[in-house]
Amino acid sequence: MSDQTNNYDVLVVGGGIAGEETALNLANIGYKVIMVEKDLSLGGKMIHLSKVFPTLDCSACITTPKVSETARHPNIHIFTNSEVGEIEKISENNFNAVLTEKPRYVTEECTGCQLCEDACPVSVDDQFQYELVGRKAIYIPFSIANPRIAAIDIENCILCGLCEKVCPGDYIDFRQVEKKTPINVKSVVMATGYELFDPTIITRYGFGKFKNVVTAMQMERQLVPTRPYNSVLRPKDGKMPDNIAYVLCTGSRDDTVGNPICSQVCCMYSTKQAQLLMGALPMADVTIYYIHIRAFGKGFCEFYNQTQGMGVEFIKGKIGKIDEVDDGDLILRYEDIESGKVKEAKHDLVVLATGILANKDYQSMFKNIELEADPFNYVKQTNDLSSPARTSIGGVFVAGTASGPMDIPDSILSAGAASAETASYLRRANNEK
Amino acid sequence: MKNKIGVYICQCGSNISDYVDVEKVKEIVSSEDIVFLSKTTMFACADSTQKEIAADIAEQNLDGLVVASCSPKLHLDTFRNVAIRADLNPYNYVQVNIREQCSWAHSDKPKDATEKAIKLVLAGIHRVKHSVALEKLKISSENTVVVVGAGIAGMRSAIELADMGSQVYLIEREHFVGGRTSQWNELFTTGESGRDVVSSLYKQIKSHSDITLFTGAEVVSKGGSVGNFNIEVKITPRYIKPQCELDMDKFEKVLEICPIEVEDEFNFGLTKRKAIYKNYPSEFPEIPAIDDKNCNRCGKCLELCPDIDFGQKVETLNLKAGAILITTGFDPYEPKEGEFGYKTVDSVITLQQMKRLIELNDKELIYNGKKINKVGFIYCVGSRQPDGDNKYCSRYCCTSAIYTGTVVREKYKNIQNFHFNRGIRTYGKQELLYHDASENGDVFLQFYNDSTPAITSNGTGPKVTIEDFLTKGKEIEVNLDLLVLVTGMVPRKERNIADILKIPIGRDKFYNEIHPKLRPVETVIDGVHIAGACQSPKNITESVKSALSAAAKANSLISKGEIELEPTLAVIDKSLCKSAGECIKICPYDAITTVEYDGKTVSEVNKSSCKGCGMCIPVCPENAIQLIGYTDIEIESMIEALI
Amino acid sequence: MEDITTKKEAKILVFSTEKISDPAIDLAGLLKMHYPPKVYTINIPCSSAVKPRWVLHAFEKGFDGVFIAADGTDCSYSEDCSEKTSELVGLIHKKMEEKGIELARLKMAAVCSVCAEPFVKHMISFNTYLSNIKSN
Ligand SMILES: Cc1cc2nc3c(=O)[nH]c(=O)nc-3n(C[C@H](O)[C@H](O)[C@H](O)COP(=O)(O)OP(=O)(O)OC[C@H]3O[C@@H](n4cnc5c(N)ncnc54)[C@H](O)[C@@H]3O)c2cc1C
Ligand SMILES: Cc1cc2nc3c(=O)[nH]c(=O)nc-3n(C[C@H](O)[C@H](O)[C@H](O)COP(=O)(O)OP(=O)(O)OC[C@H]3O[C@@H](n4cnc5c(N)ncnc54)[C@H](O)[C@@H]3O)c2cc1C
Ligand code: SF4
Ligand code: SF4
Repeated sequence: MSDQTNNYDVLVVGGGIAGEETALNLANIGYKVIMVEKDLSLGGKMIHLSKVFPTLDCSACITTPKVSETARHPNIHIFTNSEVGEIEKISENNFNAVLTEKPRYVTEECTGCQLCEDACPVSVDDQFQYELVGRKAIYIPFSIANPRIAAIDIENCILCGLCEKVCPGDYIDFRQVEKKTPINVKSVVMATGYELFDPTIITRYGFGKFKNVVTAMQMERQLVPTRPYNSVLRPKDGKMPDNIAYVLCTGSRDDTVGNPICSQVCCMYSTKQAQLLMGALPMADVTIYYIHIRAFGKGFCEFYNQTQGMGVEFIKGKIGKIDEVDDGDLILRYEDIESGKVKEAKHDLVVLATGILANKDYQSMFKNIELEADPFNYVKQTNDLSSPARTSIGGVFVAGTASGPMDIPDSILSAGAASAETASYLRRANNEK
Repeated sequence: MKNKIGVYICQCGSNISDYVDVEKVKEIVSSEDIVFLSKTTMFACADSTQKEIAADIAEQNLDGLVVASCSPKLHLDTFRNVAIRADLNPYNYVQVNIREQCSWAHSDKPKDATEKAIKLVLAGIHRVKHSVALEKLKISSENTVVVVGAGIAGMRSAIELADMGSQVYLIEREHFVGGRTSQWNELFTTGESGRDVVSSLYKQIKSHSDITLFTGAEVVSKGGSVGNFNIEVKITPRYIKPQCELDMDKFEKVLEICPIEVEDEFNFGLTKRKAIYKNYPSEFPEIPAIDDKNCNRCGKCLELCPDIDFGQKVETLNLKAGAILITTGFDPYEPKEGEFGYKTVDSVITLQQMKRLIELNDKELIYNGKKINKVGFIYCVGSRQPDGDNKYCSRYCCTSAIYTGTVVREKYKNIQNFHFNRGIRTYGKQELLYHDASENGDVFLQFYNDSTPAITSNGTGPKVTIEDFLTKGKEIEVNLDLLVLVTGMVPRKERNIADILKIPIGRDKFYNEIHPKLRPVETVIDGVHIAGACQSPKNITESVKSALSAAAKANSLISKGEIELEPTLAVIDKSLCKSAGECIKICPYDAITTVEYDGKTVSEVNKSSCKGCGMCIPVCPENAIQLIGYTDIEIESMIEALI
Repeated sequence: MEDITTKKEAKILVFSTEKISDPAIDLAGLLKMHYPPKVYTINIPCSSAVKPRWVLHAFEKGFDGVFIAADGTDCSYSEDCSEKTSELVGLIHKKMEEKGIELARLKMAAVCSVCAEPFVKHMISFNTYLSNIKSN
């Protein structure tokens, strides 16, 4: 058995910004890292964002170098389109697990020339554009994906073989099958990130029913420099909106949807999007309906003040209901907290600032031991104050939004903490041997 | 000079070749006599092409390499590595961008795009022609870190650094460790006591053979640079022999006899302390200390205690370290006299005083001899100010005030809390504290940014008059027994260390990182890291996260015993230098110093501090400075090729 | 197919910076925004590192204009990079004056790492300006 096992010092689960930062720190110290990413490419949510608060640097521009540094690092072994499970703690410094590599039906030599995309006759919604535009059944996830290798979405593929014909390098391989490999690692870092609240649950907001009600993540995709339409448009009729509303705390701070906590990032990302919208659509009005504005981090409050100065309107109000009128415009009924009155306002595009929820994947990854959860289903930090990366299992650490909502700067610091605690754990255990 | 150069022109599928006639580019550049071979390729970055390039270099003995393809931001390292694999120095490779800056930018004018591509490739060839082989600079480094400040951030990073294998010198200015954390008894969000947290860390530090703790110590000068700093530390004695085994009863007597009484900073002036002191019984190090500034050497204590030793001298130590970590923390904001009635209206105190008051009052909450039932909190005092430096939100205080209110309500009987706020910012999971406080009867009133509450005295206690936002500006009056000003965090007043180390300071006057996302714990001074509340307001968890991040960065920088630096640095031709000193003035890194050379004083670049920005090169009146990789001959021959 | 306007187009040398303004110029290409094709860039680490003699050399060899795409406040080397680059431009202007070169042929503007649009606008207007003085 043992000769079949692949040995690593650290297993990093998740290749978002937190996972990358952790892997790089540990690899730079000299540890051998295996990174397992569920998606086809690295970068997590961050690589899909437009510009990021509070510095407004282009998200892709600052993620891509991190991603390629991770991908190129000699001490980091990456498995994308893969998952890990059956993690078993044998003793300190000794975990067994099973790595599952899913087939992408395209070999690693693929050069990303995209000829296959042109040839493929099947069009489906593109999940990376958050369903804003279509993609083919064979596709490169997005233009700056790493690895930049095509993959076939086998569920939608009609097996016509046109891609095989146009591929200049014979890199399409329909014979690929799922592969399971046992691995052995000395420590584990959970960096599986967060999930987004599904706003269809709050039916009174009409998301899914009214086309001009979108989520903030969809808006991010309209605002990126490589945006699909090169402008911001209303989904219903392709018109440029000129009176946009943001509904904060959608699915956060709300016991009725089971999420009583604050998502920590949506106030700021909405404020940021409002600034970007003022740039993209100089004539548009932007109104933000909020309960409290959580502009707490370094430079955040200044950013919020600047946004107010630019003319974005902030209304302290709770949204009761959203209705659509004939031309696709939307009527918001809200309780204006300042006057205590219920009011109505008309907007032509509504953006729901959907909250952040725990990704519960880790709960089914372990075999003989439980990785405990906090009351909100995030990985529980057992020594929150002085060892923030520690979990209920010795040798398993947590980084980034897997432990709770946070922005990118905090995710990076949290990943730094996870790297340090993992490095110490590895060294301590080594010394004891 | 290179005269056997290989040139590869990439079609990038069709991204380039649709607009640029790559065959024509190849044909024209191949007629340059220094070009030995030129090829077009479908994908230069493809594995197969990389292998081909490496084979060409090795077999044909090429001495320079040009790849004309996409932006160097994507593939500079890819092809540098190809060069390395083929034994060609990576600095003899140049990448020419004919995609982003040519085929795509001029897809409307293919003919012009081709012309431009030819010139760009020619310029690249000329740059390679004059390129020189370079090696990464390697400097040796001490696997030792000096950590300045033994608050929670400093203590925590010291332990982690030692666990990761570095030697640590932990320098604390006070005679006791723990920083602010030891001043707060109950901590959000876990309910632990600050003292217990500090005690447990202190014990770990004491048992760690790789950590040396100095208290009463301050950095007085810095020399050297990353890898090899020389830090001079001044240590003020505590005037008590190290073998002292503290006997609390005896110590009480000594305290009685000491005639000097000063304001107790630990309790923010709520109480007085003696010149010989220890802030609380379990404070560490165990031995008390004599406050040098206030002790008048009357010698009364000597009569009671043989361990007191006024013969101890100020010592200076020289420490060698590879990296420095600054964790000097913050000061709580001290309101100005009259600000919300501070010091002008009775029973108006700060949040930090309130925290101490709770600890000093066990059963009943008493202030100035009066029992307290109605407590008010005014938020954002010293934070979120429209003018001045304190425009920022202090981040910890909403949560701390709500939590403090909860502690008061639960610890004492009949408490009613009023929170006069500007919009509560209990972000993340802290929201639950806010939620619970509202459920348990705390009253929250929000005031307008431009109409702050007025504080007056009603004879028995402070009275707050506010225009309440939530009731559309109705004026509300609340009579209180005690008013707590929820003060924010400000940078430490005493910050000599910033001048000594030249730590950059941000707009908010806290220490500034290089980049909040990419390099949040590093500063532009190589080897100098920052963590905890000295970088920006943070609660304990956040301070510790940044402390551990800094520990990881510092350790990975120095633990290999050797640091690699980019070789693209400025060099000064000493024979041309006339010591005008302009370069010394402009260098943002203090990397230029003077040396004696050939009987005159000339400037010289310190290789380990130079970052290669090149700011010094244009200001030299003698043109004595060249930036390696961007020398006059390289740039000027590129200009000639482009015209 | 060659359009006649190209003949008159000015030759512009751009000094861009590796971490800040060059990425913006890349982005302009990525977004297929067009600017005059006789714009050539040389990138350097920081815009405060442009040597006066390089600029003079460019004019001497036949460039119509030189544009410094400055780091501005985004510079990773120095907070007051903007001022430093401006001072440098002042210095170069003095030397241009001595040689009788029209000062407006050297231009500087801060270009942030995503300022693709401003960059393109700068190039178009600079080109128009330069080709006008050229044909006069
Ligand atoms: C609309 C929006 C805008 C935002 N804007 C900003 C902003 O401007 N500035 C800012 O600072 N923050 C912003 N944020 C927050 C930011 O997205 C997060 O802070 C950051 O992405 C967290 O990174 P992470 O690595 O923890 O998680 P993620 O980005 O979620 O990464 C987790 C990774 O783990 C992978 N994964 C998940 N489960 C598994 C599994 N079982 N096995 C293997 N891999 C798995 C995922 O595929 C993913 O790649 C925004 C968030 C939203 C929703
Ligand atoms: C009223 C109040 C209540 C709070 N309550 C909580 C709470 O309940 N929970 C929570 O998480 N956070 C709380 N905080 C925040 C918490 O205090 C900080 O997060 C934490 O103290 C920051 O730690 P630090 O180590 O960065 O700085 P500090 O605690 O300030 O420690 C810095 C250390 O450096 C030393 N030092 C300074 N300058 C020098 C020098 N030049 N040379 C040598 N040494 C030097 C200082 O003496 C000190 O020991 C509270 C803050 C306040 C003001
Ligand atoms: S960050 Fe703002 S929008 Fe998001 S849940 Fe918290 S208060 Fe609501
Ligand atoms: S945390 Fe709350 S009290 Fe503190 S400055 Fe921010 S908003 Fe004001």
